[in-house]
Amino acid sequence: MIVVTDATHRYGSVEALRGVSLLVAPGQRVVILGTNGSGKSTLARLLNGSLLPSSGSVEVDGVSSSPETTRRLAELVGYVRQDPRNQIVSPVVSDEVAFGPRNLGLSRPDVLSRVDEALEVCGISHLRHHMTTELSGGQQQLLALAGVLAMRPRYLVLDEACSQLDEATRRRVRAIVRDCRERGVGVVEVAHFAEDVAGADRVLVLERGRLAWEGEPGGFFLSPGALSSSGLRDDPLSPVLSSLAASGCDLTEPLDEKDVVQRLGVSGAPSDRLTAPSPAADEADEAPAAHELCLRDASLSYGDTAALVRANLSATGVTLLLGASGSGKSTAARLLSGVLAPDDGSAELDGGRVRAGRIGLAFQRPEDQLFSDTVIDDIAYGPRMAGHGDEATRAEAIDAARRLGVGSDVLGRSPFELSGGQMRRVALAGVIAAGPSAYVFDEPTAGLDAPSRREVRELVSDLAAGGAPVVVITHDAAEWIDVARRVVFLAGGRVTGDLRASEVRANPAPFEAAGMLAPLMVRLRAAGRGGEADA
Amino acid sequence: MRSPVALGAYVPARTLVHAIDARAKLVLLVIATVASFASPAPVGLAVAAAGLVVALVASRTSPRAVLRGLRPAALLLAVSVLGNAVVLVGQPGISLAGLSRSVTVVLRVALVVGFALVFSSTTPQPAIADALAALMAPLSRVGVPVTSIAMSASIALRFIPITGEELHRIRSAQRARGARFDEGGVRERLAVWRQVLVPLVVALFRRSDELARAMTDRCYAGEQTTLLGPLPPRDRALVAVGVAWAVVCALF
Repeated sequence: MIVVTDATHRYGSVEALRGVSLLVAPGQRVVILGTNGSGKSTLARLLNGSLLPSSGSVEVDGVSSSPETTRRLAELVGYVRQDPRNQIVSPVVSDEVAFGPRNLGLSRPDVLSRVDEALEVCGISHLRHHMTTELSGGQQQLLALAGVLAMRPRYLVLDEACSQLDEATRRRVRAIVRDCRERGVGVVEVAHFAEDVAGADRVLVLERGRLAWEGEPGGFFLSPGALSSSGLRDDPLSPVLSSLAASGCDLTEPLDEKDVVQRLGVSGAPSDRLTAPSPAADEADEAPAAHELCLRDASLSYGDTAALVRANLSATGVTLLLGASGSGKSTAARLLSGVLAPDDGSAELDGGRVRAGRIGLAFQRPEDQLFSDTVIDDIAYGPRMAGHGDEATRAEAIDAARRLGVGSDVLGRSPFELSGGQMRRVALAGVIAAGPSAYVFDEPTAGLDAPSRREVRELVSDLAAGGAPVVVITHDAAEWIDVARRVVFLAGGRVTGDLRASEVRANPAPFEAAGMLAPLMVRLRAAGRGGEADA
Repeated sequence: MRSPVALGAYVPARTLVHAIDARAKLVLLVIATVASFASPAPVGLAVAAAGLVVALVASRTSPRAVLRGLRPAALLLAVSVLGNAVVLVGQPGISLAGLSRSVTVVLRVALVVGFALVFSSTTPQPAIADALAALMAPLSRVGVPVTSIAMSASIALRFIPITGEELHRIRSAQRARGARFDEGGVRERLAVWRQVLVPLVVALFRRSDELARAMTDRCYAGEQTTLLGPLPPRDRALVAVGVAWAVVCALF
């Protein structure tokens, strides 16, 4: 049992967590929700002893956290972070998994058998001799999970561990976690998505460091207060789950699409919850586009590996670029933005070759994109390089900061001191500051809470409404599909589909053709349509 | 995103050399280095070179990689060959004795580079660290923190590709926002590079902090179970063969 009693944590004089209590029993799954900066990660780190409470107490299976017990707590409570890249210690997969067990003072045969077991459980035994740097992001996260499971923790903390994963890998991680729970491992999950709440035993909502709501998932979706303080009111799936909860569905069980659709139909809940909206995006379909960003027969290889093969795509308005990890999405983004040049073919903006710096490129990880000493310098870098005068540069930077909601109090700080959400805003402000005529956004909402994700979607829609093509690369197709105009699917470096967004919103087929799993929202809509046809 | 394999970086494969225990390989590397310098030309040196050929074939390492490995030292080696061969004092001209002497030295350096490449491209960093720790184990009796040194070495090796990665991403980020690395005069280029190096150092410190935290989360406290089992008889035999070969090199 994890017992957190009235825990408070301060970073210097800043109170990140205040008077929070929490119980996690073996085999339970507890989901912690809250907007960016609400104290979720602080609470999570208290659980494995990597942070100590300033007051109150944390006790895991009778061991209370103190400077002397941090190692014991780390052994009892495994911790998986959002970004696998920074958790990997070793360049070889099997050795990476062995790292934890080797620290536990086990004998060599024990270490080796645990490595085998953990690789097996996570389904990556075939990768054991591979280099960790060769793995895709999804495989790296499975590896990080294997590295933690090899230590046989009694509890598992997943700190937004699924937020950078595609649908199929997410599903695998969920299945692995379910197996762990069946063996009695207690799971604490820090999450940002409505979908993560289903199947939880209990839900905690943090708001500005305090416990704002606690209860069962059903109650959560029926409580307007809990939905709004967790930020999940802005999640497109929330209304569906609210209707389900209202129809008396047990949300402590994992969701089953067929069942969901049936329930929504039977209970007389408005089935339009599942019908795709026909927003301005569809009307904009017909409107002439001001600019066009495209790839023509573009190919690129890294050494012997072909990353993109004769890819053709044309982006006007909001265009989604979807594909499993390793499908060539990020390579396409680099070509479209001119950071890399194709070996063959071309990347063009309005018929001319793209040049780095003319296309706004937002990186997958905001910290990968920031490099200046202060926030304002970073945002101003683009306009300054474009040769705008000092005054114009400053005005443009401040305007961009304002549009992204970057407070004037952070402009003088180092971008690396900021929270993930704020860092993302600064990075996006830096991209739009110079006013490029086309944009490429690689996973612009990863790690953001639901309200911030909505704001980014609105920003992208605004930029597109201004005539700029915006290519959005994302794992979270469900979130973007309703604001998109076109959807391009990539698999193995080839374009497998280039469709109007309206043709994709309720149709899992193009996802499957690209070797992906369609998002829950699309599957639900498809199942709903099937139901209508049956009736 | 994949990038071409850095020179000397571990290349996973299934060859005889990959399968040899890292300790045995490390000992063989030391023996080979001694042999490369101790063998008299031309016969001993030829035997030593034959050893390198065997190592390259058995590890499927391309001889071209050895040439690439020599490139950083190429200028130095060229100057040394010229310096030895060209006689300016007395009777100016080409000294054959000097030429053969310096070519011999270049060959010895090439041999050592070749052996080192075979070792590093067939042995993953953690195994190198383990092997170092194992061979230095006697020192732990006199209070030298051998395992910590080995782990530091391993992490330092791990940070070589990370540094390359960070450099690449900072340059991409700046290029994406209009920086030009390939234009302007020397001064402009230097200024652009300064803009890269400062964030690079900051980024590396940040990543090492995060790595340290991830290691603590996984209970790292300095002592680790070694993954090296007893040295297999085959590898003992190989070390013996290596010693015999070195003796032959040195005697001829």
